[in-house]
Amino acid sequence: MKRIVLLAIFISLGIWACTDTENGGSDTSFDRGAMLRNYADNLILPAYEDALNATQMLNVSLQVFAADQSLQNLKQAQNAWTQAYGTWMYANAYNFGPAGEQGFNKSLNEEIATFPVSTIKVENALISGQFDMNDFNRDARGFLTLEYLLFAGIEYSDAEVLQLFVNQPNRKALLTACGENIESRINGVLQAWQTGYKEIFTSRQGSDVGSSTSQLYNEFVKSFETNKNIKVELPLGRRPGQTQVAPQLVEAYYSGKSLEFLKMHLRAIEDIYHGRSKSGADGIGFREHLDAVVGGPELVASTLAQWASVIEALQGVPTSPALSTQIIENPSALESLREELQRHTRFFKSDMSSVLGIAITFSSGDGD
Amino acid sequence: MLDSLHRFCNKKISAAPLISFRLIFGALMIFSTIRFMWLGWIEDHYTTPMFHFKYFGFEWVEACSTTCLYAIHVGMIFAALGVMFAHGMLYRLSALALFLGFTYTELIDLTYYLNHYYFVSLICLLLVFMPANVSPFFEVDQQQIRRATLFIIQAQIAILYVYAGLAKINHDWLIEALPLKIWLPAHDKLPLIGPLFSWDITPYLFSWAGMLYDSFIVFFLLYKPTRVWAYVTVIIFHSLTGILFQIGVFPVVMMGAATIFFSDEWHTRLIKKLNFGVQKPWLESPKLQFPRVFNYFLVLYLAFQLLFPWRYLLYPGNLFWTEEGYRFSWRVMLMEKAGTATFYVKDTATGREGIVVNNEFLNAHQEKQMAMQPDMILQFAHFLGRHYEAKGLLKPEVRAEVYVTLNARPSRLLIDPHRNLLNEKDSFKPKDWIIHYED
Repeated sequence: MKRIVLLAIFISLGIWACTDTENGGSDTSFDRGAMLRNYADNLILPAYEDALNATQMLNVSLQVFAADQSLQNLKQAQNAWTQAYGTWMYANAYNFGPAGEQGFNKSLNEEIATFPVSTIKVENALISGQFDMNDFNRDARGFLTLEYLLFAGIEYSDAEVLQLFVNQPNRKALLTACGENIESRINGVLQAWQTGYKEIFTSRQGSDVGSSTSQLYNEFVKSFETNKNIKVELPLGRRPGQTQVAPQLVEAYYSGKSLEFLKMHLRAIEDIYHGRSKSGADGIGFREHLDAVVGGPELVASTLAQWASVIEALQGVPTSPALSTQIIENPSALESLREELQRHTRFFKSDMSSVLGIAITFSSGDGD
Repeated sequence: MLDSLHRFCNKKISAAPLISFRLIFGALMIFSTIRFMWLGWIEDHYTTPMFHFKYFGFEWVEACSTTCLYAIHVGMIFAALGVMFAHGMLYRLSALALFLGFTYTELIDLTYYLNHYYFVSLICLLLVFMPANVSPFFEVDQQQIRRATLFIIQAQIAILYVYAGLAKINHDWLIEALPLKIWLPAHDKLPLIGPLFSWDITPYLFSWAGMLYDSFIVFFLLYKPTRVWAYVTVIIFHSLTGILFQIGVFPVVMMGAATIFFSDEWHTRLIKKLNFGVQKPWLESPKLQFPRVFNYFLVLYLAFQLLFPWRYLLYPGNLFWTEEGYRFSWRVMLMEKAGTATFYVKDTATGREGIVVNNEFLNAHQEKQMAMQPDMILQFAHFLGRHYEAKGLLKPEVRAEVYVTLNARPSRLLIDPHRNLLNEKDSFKPKDWIIHYED
């Protein structure tokens, strides 16, 4: 028996030694820690910081407007809103950790950027003066409720909007309450990232379900799919059961800036894929991770080729009139974009998770 | 020949291995049932989803309420206690209750099909037919059983291992080291053994070791001189796969089940160590007469288990791609497969075609499993047809564009994207709407 044990030990040592020397040079490991640090330092934290700064500026404008409802102040507030919501396009994909669902809170994106806005709820709140920033009515607060209050609709002139503020005394109060709520929620998440969550995020370097790679990946895919499923398909009336187009379902319906935000959101998605900061500095991201795994380089090639088609289709969408009008008059350009997004889905969704070996659910798999 | 079958089956052997198997298996069932409830899986798996994928032939099985499912799980804990300790009719009822309870919960949704759940169901069924007069409380040295009763469990475990090993003898597994080449590098951050998984040779070593382990471990467990080392290998192998892969209680179940190959003396010692098997019977063991038909049942059961996994040979195409005849065949952790399935529902009156968002109806696990398995795609298509017809679509047509990647190869279409799936029915016949994987 002793001889068998010794033999076994020697054989395993031999294998160990051989593999060590033979493969020292062709180590295929990928540094997920470096990838996560890049995401935290160069994408996620800057995105929340930008969003917070822009929201603070927005709130200053809203205060100024609330004190004096001049045409100039309204313009100022509208611009500040456009700026702030634009920064949110770069931060809306990170709905995990402090921005994930917690207790009664939905994800940060749902809490502050739900659309379409329920105009009935908002109008009721304007009449009653009763509104709660922590209840379930997420479609009656947040960025897009602000938009409704500030723009009223693409057919409304600014003078008519000002008149609404005169006719509805509660409009000011709801406006500032929404702005403050958005700021405090973004601030809460940024604080959490700055005071410990970043370290947690960068330390969970596995690819199991609770790992940062898995969480970031899952939210990235969800955010990508939102563009196709919610921002494009629904207004085009392409859900089964929809019998006609639904232009009022576009994002940012009242300001008519849907296409601008869609472009920013897709740009942000592209940045996440590459691990690239908003200013264009390319770091270690999913793309580099893919380059380091079996089947990855081929997938990167087909992904980039299809993404080029997505961008081409996106650029083919006319910048005016507003998307909601195009959908009624001539949706063909947006329809092409929808098709390209559809073609792209598998590259981000199943192909990528499969070659990266990222776990998607907690449930047990088949044992060995 | 029949005589030798009966002689083989009816030979009296020590009951010790069976007694400790009952103790070990029952304890594992209690552990796994508590774990299932603790993780909130009753809600997540059974009562939250609005749609369940059915097993072929078991379409009538429905999920009962959350309370009812908790009651069933608590009942299973008591049934497992019965399997461990009960005597006579109570034992048999416990085993039957455990079998029915466990199998019922498994049949609720095909999404959660696992080979080891199937294994547990089969073992529960076999336990119903084990001698009911064998008890851990009675003096273990004096209890005897017919060899057939122990043999059938050993044979079942042997089939599981050997077939799992045979399934690994394929080009991707042995020559390409796929899917381990995909899975192992994802674990390079594990303490101590992590760096091992970034080496190029590791997936090859693991692939071959896995194949050899599954194919031969039972024989080394059966052969006394190699038994100890074989069991050490069992522990190392299953611990490793348990750490590496998200496979739940399976490693523990197999480590427990493999002890059935140990000697009578070992089992006798184990039972006595647990302070069982020492009392004189306080009631007379009922003398059970075994009808010969039981031995024929054994032959039939084994024949089914031996043959059923080979049914895939009757289907055209690549088994891993079509998955026709894939389940119930001990094919475990064999491939990395994932898909994206997009369903289009057309109102034939207006010609308007809409695109389904799957997660409106399915949880993440259901969507993932459905998107790569043709029979589940078909079920979901029929569900969508019914759902949207009820919502007012006229004579809907449902088609699906399904792109699947297998072992990290570029994804391609799994089924005919133009076929109206509502015209197709699931059956054992080959599905002619699958696009075969020509390679």
